[in-house]
Formats: sequence, structure tokens, C-alpha cells
Amino acid sequence: MAMSKEDAVNRARTDLAGRLGVAENEIKEDSVEDADFPDASFGAGAAGEMSAQMITPGWRIRLRAGGDVYEYRANRNRIRLFNFKGANYSV
Amino acid sequence: MNRQNFFGHLALAVAVVILAAFIGQMRRMERSHATFERRDIVVVPHGHDADEADDEAELEDAEVIVRFRPGTSRAQIERITNGLNDRLLDRFEFINNQAVIADEDGLAPETVAAEYRGLPEVEYAEPNFVIELDPTGNAPDFGEARHGHDDDDDDPPVVRHPGDGGMQPNDPLFNEQWSLLNTGQRAGTSGADVCATRAWTKTKGSRKIVVAVIDTGVDYTHQDLRSNIWTRPASLAAYSDEDLGDFDDRHGFDAADNDGDPMDDNGHGTHCAGIIGAEGDNSDGIAGVNWEVEIMPLKFLGRNGSGTTKDAIECINYVVARKKAGVNVRIISASWGSTARSRALGDAIKRAGDEGILFIAAAGNSSTNNDARPHYPSNYDLPNVLSVAALTRTDALARFSNYGAKTVHIAAPGAEIMSTWPGNQYEEHSGTSMATPVVSGVAALILSVNPDLSMTDLRKRLLDTVDKLPALDGKVSSGGRVNAASAVRAD
Repeated sequence: MAMSKEDAVNRARTDLAGRLGVAENEIKEDSVEDADFPDASFGAGAAGEMSAQMITPGWRIRLRAGGDVYEYRANRNRIRLFNFKGANYSV
Repeated sequence: MNRQNFFGHLALAVAVVILAAFIGQMRRMERSHATFERRDIVVVPHGHDADEADDEAELEDAEVIVRFRPGTSRAQIERITNGLNDRLLDRFEFINNQAVIADEDGLAPETVAAEYRGLPEVEYAEPNFVIELDPTGNAPDFGEARHGHDDDDDDPPVVRHPGDGGMQPNDPLFNEQWSLLNTGQRAGTSGADVCATRAWTKTKGSRKIVVAVIDTGVDYTHQDLRSNIWTRPASLAAYSDEDLGDFDDRHGFDAADNDGDPMDDNGHGTHCAGIIGAEGDNSDGIAGVNWEVEIMPLKFLGRNGSGTTKDAIECINYVVARKKAGVNVRIISASWGSTARSRALGDAIKRAGDEGILFIAAAGNSSTNNDARPHYPSNYDLPNVLSVAALTRTDALARFSNYGAKTVHIAAPGAEIMSTWPGNQYEEHSGTSMATPVVSGVAALILSVNPDLSMTDLRKRLLDTVDKLPALDGKVSSGGRVNAASAVRAD
């Protein structure tokens, strides 16, 4: 089932809480904006990943926790965590 | 062999077997003590199930791509893999001594690759990363055209533009195809196109030319493509790979799912295919750069638009196999990439070049300089690779397009490009993905009138006949936009 923007934000929040080991209510929404990403992996591909080089619209979701900002990239089909401790992750 | 030598060799063979068994046992013991952090894997070594990331670790086989040194026999390769308790999955038939090997000891792929790199018989070894599929399991919805045209739309009237002396097709969406004929529509610059209509006075393409589209597959049933889809002739045996099995490759090959059905479940490959060769002048949809051509659909990118190096190589291997079997495939169109360099992929592309196949690749969409920050496969320094940047309808370098005075070679329209989409639909998309098949299409047009042109001369023709643009000075090596009319030497 396709995700709405709100679904994507909620999934990102849950994922980040799990990664950081904090409660979800400690994760604050910093910003959510429409964005055009450079490829099918939202510009958040990982080693060895080949991606279609087509501009892919989606949402850039920034969440704040403990003074740090974390960036998720999503569209209605999938979510990626961008540059978390130097690596990109599928959620 | 005398009796003494015989027993000496026998003793040596027994010692080798015992040593191999000992090494295998040691690695099994090592596995039993290993602790794996799997939770955050984004690129999952083949067989690792990321969907069960929170479950107790239960690792399956990691994969590596290994190239053994010349002269290493299959028997030696099997002896090595068996000795390391690994399994030989597939040998790429046309790339000497390159193979995919599965580890069965639960080691990380980097560890396995390092292990092979330490062997004197190995030239290189790389992890084969397998990309986790979209965890939501969603396939793109083809039920409604997103920003394009549905088949049921009332077709707009065909407006024929006077003055360019070219040949215009009756396809109802042709007016949206500024890349082929730019009349200034939607604030474009008149003439900022590839001069397709003039080229068509000389040639509209030929079904004797086969273009391999290695991508997400192609909707080969699309009404605007089906006439131009390659079909395996009855005289050609079904594809058979000694390691992978037999495939009924009626319209191509699917390395992502390891079957003979390259149907597109994403859309990207169908869009690229339409740019190269949607049927022209059929009163339907759009026209491709070629009104007639044969498109060979290959699939290695999954429904989420991502795929693995190994599967890309499997597709190239398929193309080389078909070329060697007599199929006139002259061009591979590759609208994908990453910043990771794989020697194995480079070797596969080189092998295609040895067969006279031009490999046309997207430069990438990060707005960066590929001379400084390479993008692959477009950055392989091989004589059969052509790297493509994207232009807007005003002849500007698209803001997203990568560039590179040395490593990006040519530019083509790549912004707001209308083309085919699965389910008899049409959509407009942007990217160097879209610029690449424009150049692939022009290459096929050239071959339709000069079928004996060598790969080297084909590449040179494309570069020598560009329209130089100020916006591309210092950005791409040719300094220009591909020009179909000049390339086919239309009057």
C-alpha cells in the first residue's frame, strides 16, 4: 500500500527512535519538504547499488533528536535514511 | 609415470584434500563464534534477509565476483572454491575466468573478497552487493498516468511545424517532443533539438539494428513499442547458461529474477525504450528517434529502480552471447549508475566493446564534475564507452546533470522528455537517463544507413557531428549536443 507523507514521517520517526534507542516522543519533526532526488535511490545509494538516473520526486524529512538533525528521503513507495554515521540505509 | 612418482603424487593429493578440509572446518568454527550486526544493512549481501533484521541472525550466503588469473582452469577454480567451503554460482562465459562465488561460512562479503584477493590465482575479487527490495512491497501504480497522457485521452490535434524542411510524423504527442523538434513550445528555444525531422528525410531507422536496453526491463506489449521489440528468431536457440540454466528468452532476459521475461515493473526502462524507438507515424502516442528499430529488453534493475553489479554483468554477458550467436546488437543503452567502481563491470563492458558494441551511459544527476568525482559506468576509460549529459529545452546544461570536460563526452535533451510508460501510457520525465537513449537512438539511426560502420567510427561520428553549444564549453569533451541530421548526413 502506498505511503502518504504522514505515513513516511511516522515510519521515519519510529526508525530513528529505534536506531538511537530513545522514545518516539523524543524525536521532533524539524522539516518536511517536497524534493527532487537525483536517482531511484534518492541520492542515498549504498556501495555497489546501481540506480536508474531519473529525477525522482519525493519528500525530504528532517527529524531532530538530542540536538542533532537526521535526514530521511522518501516517496510513496520507500524510505531511505541519508548519511547516518556516514552511511545510507533503507528503512 | 613410474611407481615411485605415482605414490608421490598420490600422497601430495591426499595432503591437499586434508588441508582443504581443515581450512573449511576452521572457517565453520570461526562462523560459530561470529557475531553479526545485521539490523542496519541497506545493501544486503546476497541471501541476507533484511526483512528479518530484528530476528536472530541467520545468515545465508554472501557473494563475491572473482576474476582468476589467465591460465587458471575450471578444475583449479573448483578446487579453490571447494577448499574454502564456497560454491561456484556462475561463470561469465565471455569474460575469461570471471565468476560469482557464494560463501557458505556466513562471513561478510568484504571478508570473503579479501580472502580471495590473497590467493595467487586471483586477479581481483569484489563483494557483490545485493540491494534490498522496497520493504513496503509496492509496485508503481500504472493505473493512472501521473503527469503524462493516458491512452484514453482525447488526442490533441497534430500541428505540423513549417520551415524546418523535415519530415514530421502523425503521432499525436509529437508536439510534446521538443527534443526531436523544438519550435519554442513551452518557453523552449526554437531549434534546440537533435534535428530529428531532417534526419528522417534520410532514414527512419531499421529493424536490422538491435539496441539492447539494460534497465528495469521494457513493457514489450506497449502499443507504441511492440512493433519494435526484438523477438528471438525461431532459428536461434533459447538462451542457455551452463550455470544458470535454460531460458525462453522470447524478448530478452531478466537477470534480476533470473528468468526469460524482462517485463518492466518500474517504468524507467519503458521510458528509455520509447525514446530510442517508439513506433513513428502510427497515429499513436509519440515517435522514437527511430521509427523502426529492434529494442532488446534486458532487466537488472528491480521495481524500485536499483540493482546489483552482478546482474548488470549478467545482462551484458547475455548481450555478448546473442551478438556472438548472430544477433546484430550494436549498442547498449545504460541509463543507470553509481559512484562505486567495479573492475568486474569494467571488464564486462570492455568485453562488449571487443564484440563491437558501443556502450552509451548516463553521466549522472548530481550536478557534479565527473572528472573529479567519477560516476560509473559512464566513467570507465574504455574506447566503447560514451558518457551523456542532459540538456534543457533552451539548450542549457540541465541543473541536475553531471558534466566533465574529460569524462563526459556528449550532451542530449534530457529534461521534460515525453515517452512511453507501462500500460499503454505516456509520461514526462527528466534525467541523464533520458538523454542517454537519445544518443543511443541516433547511433542506431547512423547504423541504419551505415550498417558496416565500426564501433570506433560510430562513436567518432557521434562526437564529430555535434552542434557546439556555449553552455557546454568546458563541460563535455565534444562541447556539443548530438545532431541526428548531421550524424546521418542528411541533406
